[in-house]
Amino acid sequence: MRFKNLLIIIFICSVGTRVAAQTWIVPDDQKAVVAPVKFTPDMQKQGEQLYSKNCQSCHGNMGKDNWAKLTPPPGDLAKDKAQKQTDGEIFYRITTGKIPMPEFRNILSEDERWSLIAFMRSFNPKYVQPNPVAKAAFTGRIVTLAMQYSDPMKKVLVTATEQLKDGQKGLASGVEVMLFVKRYFGKMQVGDIKTTNAKGEAAFEFPADLPGNKEGYVELTATVNDPKSVMMTTPANANLAIGVPTDKPSLTATRAWWSTRANAPVWILLTYTLSVLIVWGFIGYIVMSILRIKKLSKGDA
Amino acid sequence: MTMDDNKLTIDKITADLTHHIRINKGFLLWMGFLTVSLLICLYAYSLQLRNGLGVAGIRDFVTWGMYLSNFVFFVAASLIGMLISAVLGLIGMKWLTPITRIAETIAVAFAAVAGLVIVSDMGRPERLAYVFIYGRPQSPILWDVTVITTYFVLSLLLLFLPMIADMAIIHRKVASLPSWLKPIYKTLSLNFTDQPEQNKIISRSIRILLILLIPAALSIHTVTSWLFAVTSRAGWDSTVFGPYFVSGAFVAGSAAVIIAMYFFRKNYKLQDYLTDLHFNNMGKVLATVSLVYLYFNINEFLVPGYKLKRADAVHLQELFAGKDALMFWLVQIGGLILPILFLLFRRFRKPGPVLLISIAVLIGAWFKRYLIVIPTQEHPFLPIQHVPANFMHYSPTLIETLISVAPFILVLIIITLISKFFPVIPLHETAVEKGIDHIKFD
Repeated sequence: MRFKNLLIIIFICSVGTRVAAQTWIVPDDQKAVVAPVKFTPDMQKQGEQLYSKNCQSCHGNMGKDNWAKLTPPPGDLAKDKAQKQTDGEIFYRITTGKIPMPEFRNILSEDERWSLIAFMRSFNPKYVQPNPVAKAAFTGRIVTLAMQYSDPMKKVLVTATEQLKDGQKGLASGVEVMLFVKRYFGKMQVGDIKTTNAKGEAAFEFPADLPGNKEGYVELTATVNDPKSVMMTTPANANLAIGVPTDKPSLTATRAWWSTRANAPVWILLTYTLSVLIVWGFIGYIVMSILRIKKLSKGDA
Repeated sequence: MTMDDNKLTIDKITADLTHHIRINKGFLLWMGFLTVSLLICLYAYSLQLRNGLGVAGIRDFVTWGMYLSNFVFFVAASLIGMLISAVLGLIGMKWLTPITRIAETIAVAFAAVAGLVIVSDMGRPERLAYVFIYGRPQSPILWDVTVITTYFVLSLLLLFLPMIADMAIIHRKVASLPSWLKPIYKTLSLNFTDQPEQNKIISRSIRILLILLIPAALSIHTVTSWLFAVTSRAGWDSTVFGPYFVSGAFVAGSAAVIIAMYFFRKNYKLQDYLTDLHFNNMGKVLATVSLVYLYFNINEFLVPGYKLKRADAVHLQELFAGKDALMFWLVQIGGLILPILFLLFRRFRKPGPVLLISIAVLIGAWFKRYLIVIPTQEHPFLPIQHVPANFMHYSPTLIETLISVAPFILVLIIITLISKFFPVIPLHETAVEKGIDHIKFD
């Protein structure tokens, strides 16, 4: 009897600690989410490629239990612990992430995330996919941006057009637009957010001293500021010769201490080579001398 | 000296210095023990080759563990050849003659194995050649490989050259020589017949080698110190690391030589050649280099200790009063300060006491390398997040320990073979110093 009690206590404690350790809670409405389409072999194939690029470095090969030793442990996604989640839970976790797992909201599209789940489920013979629920048709604004440079105004003009309900295209006013220029790491915003006028236009003053590449080209991107994702938008990209031509050689292009082997400083090359040649020259000389010792005695004998 | 005296003396010296050249039971037992131990260690290495470096305790924080501290120790011990033969020898210290070959043997053994120690830290040892194929001349790693190879060849030549005359004497005069050894000695003697021309070549070659040995030896340990000092890390980021390592190397090497002297004197019955005077003088050498090393130690800890940049503060705190404090103070007091104090007194420079002191110094020297290499890595400037607890603190595994023992066994095998089949004390030089100016080869 006492032994049974002890077992119960151990059981409760172990369940308790497990629950405490598991703090990544998925909201119930997200848990219930199901895929918009039936999983296909093509989706599994796409998922496999996405898995090897985005997931394998931490989760390891499916079913091989060779995941990275991190805290908390990433675990093998073919195993029960991962597989007993609903599709909605997995989708939510891929989308939002939780340190150390990155969020894939902006890295993988929704379709790609579902392909990953299709791939993951292919390792679970017991899995039966719930009936798909197609996404409701999109009813918000569908905006496309275009951009050009106006030389007399010294401004970048971004034009927004939208698809109207009757299928026609019209100029989109009241759209918040941002302009970025590509730099070494990431993008730099040019000016503030502008709202398109009645002609669907937003004008950005372009700084006169912004460095471009050798020919003065800069890479520009215009995007819609839509933090709540209520619109379907297409950004505009352009490569324009409006920057200051700049020819800065890369740090490894010239001879330097920190550079590549081909660009080692002359003084290091000389010092190293000469030292080696001199010392090994003497070693060679001594070896020759040793051989002469032998010759000398032959004449004597 | 009459002709008969001459003959008597050379015969006696030859007999004294070569009577150990025979295969006896003790030798076979000792070599058998070493071979079996080595095989066990090689099995451990085969596990590492198969399963990867994960079998060792090194992880993402401490990537340079016992293997690297072992490497520094081996390079350090090999430096003694330069101090004894080149620095003291070129000054003209005559009492050194019986010790030079011991020092060179130790230098050759440790330098030969140092390269292998580095390989034990490689996950893909078959890519060793990439150091040369893709190495950058700006990188101390390329310099390190170059100077260690060069130093090994120089030491080997310096070991061999004074042996030529010895070989000539042995293969002619030692009757008890095993028959299969005779042709080997004859080949190695290069038909040396003690002609002035031959002696001139040998002494000139030795002189060139001794001069080359000084910059080569200084380079090998300075470059090894740069592997650490060119890295911006607390405890390594130091401009005195070169001389700090070199002086530390002399301490380890001198201790190793004294230990070897003691065992050769006892086992090969060389009391008449390795006298109390030699132990006394080597004790003085050990005390001197230890004092220099102590001086660099004080610099190494006192200067950052006053500035206490944050990473330095953490590092020094761990050494002085934290996790590594016990090892640190044992090494500094037991392996450096107490030996210096004892060695100041003549009675502790007698063979027995100086042997015990040297053993303490040598053990301290190994743990000193451990303290230089490992603790700083446990406190990186940018701590890695979300890793298991065993990534943060280094503790060597059994497999790693066995792999680290293997180089010591190899060194012992090399020293045993060289000292067993060649005179431990230069035969020809000793004879010349005893006033025998010409040895008849007929």
